[in-house]
Amino acid sequence: MAGTKEIKRRIKSVKNTKKITKAMELVAASKMKRAVSATLASRLYAEYSWEILTSIAKNGDRIMHPLFSDREKEKMTNKTLLILITSNRGLCGAYNAQVIKKTLQLIKQENKNANVSIITVGKKGDVAMRRVGQNVVASFFELPNNLSIRDVTQISKLVINEYILENYDKVLIAYTDFISALTQTPNIKQVLPISKSELKNLVESLGEQKDQMVLQKDQKIDYLFEGNKNELIGSLAEKLTRMQIYQMLLESNASEQSSRMVAMKNASEASGEMIDDLTLVFNKARQANITREISEISAGMASVS
Amino acid sequence: MAKQLKLKIVTPERLVLEELVDQVSLPTTLGEITVLPEHIPLITGLSSGDIVALVHGDHVPMAVVGGFIEVKNNFEGMTEVAVMADFAEHVGELTEEKIEEAKTRAEEMRKKLENKEIVDFEHFEAELERSLTRVKIADKWRTKKYRK
Repeated sequence: MAGTKEIKRRIKSVKNTKKITKAMELVAASKMKRAVSATLASRLYAEYSWEILTSIAKNGDRIMHPLFSDREKEKMTNKTLLILITSNRGLCGAYNAQVIKKTLQLIKQENKNANVSIITVGKKGDVAMRRVGQNVVASFFELPNNLSIRDVTQISKLVINEYILENYDKVLIAYTDFISALTQTPNIKQVLPISKSELKNLVESLGEQKDQMVLQKDQKIDYLFEGNKNELIGSLAEKLTRMQIYQMLLESNASEQSSRMVAMKNASEASGEMIDDLTLVFNKARQANITREISEISAGMASVS
Repeated sequence: MAKQLKLKIVTPERLVLEELVDQVSLPTTLGEITVLPEHIPLITGLSSGDIVALVHGDHVPMAVVGGFIEVKNNFEGMTEVAVMADFAEHVGELTEEKIEEAKTRAEEMRKKLENKEIVDFEHFEAELERSLTRVKIADKWRTKKYRK
């Protein structure tokens, strides 16, 4: 009987694990829904910011602001700042591994001609970067699950300050693009200096139906500007940067939850199969026991009679 | 029917309000302005305070903090006012509890401010302004009538 008892214990423990993975799957699914809807909600803001930017640009003046223009040659520092967005917790499939791998590739490429410093968001990325001995200048771990723009302010302020102080030539961000619940791809984008084409891509990728409207609108409107135009552009630039980082964080969050959901779904399925296998083994062992007992009894009977 | 204008208030988190209104008063960086239908296109900064829209004689107040205002004529020739705020909330949503919370938070932050370094300062400053604006606007509208 020793065998059956152990098998029973194993079945029980696998069942418990399955309950946990199932629960995690459901939690991740609902979190993912929230993250996706947050991503869509920020779309409108992005569109309007873009519109204002283009109207300012159309009004003749070139936009002159440090956040918009490339670093001049003589001021080049050959240093790059990279924001790496990962999760705080594991158990989410290849989510973290993918984006970290992409980052390391980039660092290898850049390393020939530039120094890369890193800001990490999320513990997993932080641990990975410190392990390979990268220069981590700041780490953010305590971002809440339902992210609001004010949580991003601290990151964007830091980034903008560093950029304006001319410590870095450009600021990149490594995040995971949420394509669908099943596909997420790690991606690296430039945040600063704000490149107009990238921004346009961002807005386009966000709004499928509306973007055409925005783009077709080529008629010039003579805007009246109240207040200092440069200040306006400056604060617009800051807000755009912040919004971009916010957007990337939301994308990454949605990706994290969906890849966790898929991982947990697989785990639940695997544990179901395991339970089936173990039950079969258990039944076989029980049957073997019964057969043995019967044969022992009948052998005893035969010897008595 | 008298001409109306379209008011849209968006924050990075959500679309707070989209409505046809008769007129709207907004706090800009240079002082308060009121936009009526057929206003000329305008781009300006938004400071913190309250946006008050007038709909059929009812006031619709919103507490806002920082951002931009864009006034333009859209395709149908309707005046459209787009407000991009960092934060916006209908005054009706500012319940007593929330105000108390905001007040205590503002106080806490003020204390924290004293022993924080410069890096955190701006973050706290923004938070403080948000909390204070909420308190101020809620106090202002407490006794007045407005549409929920």
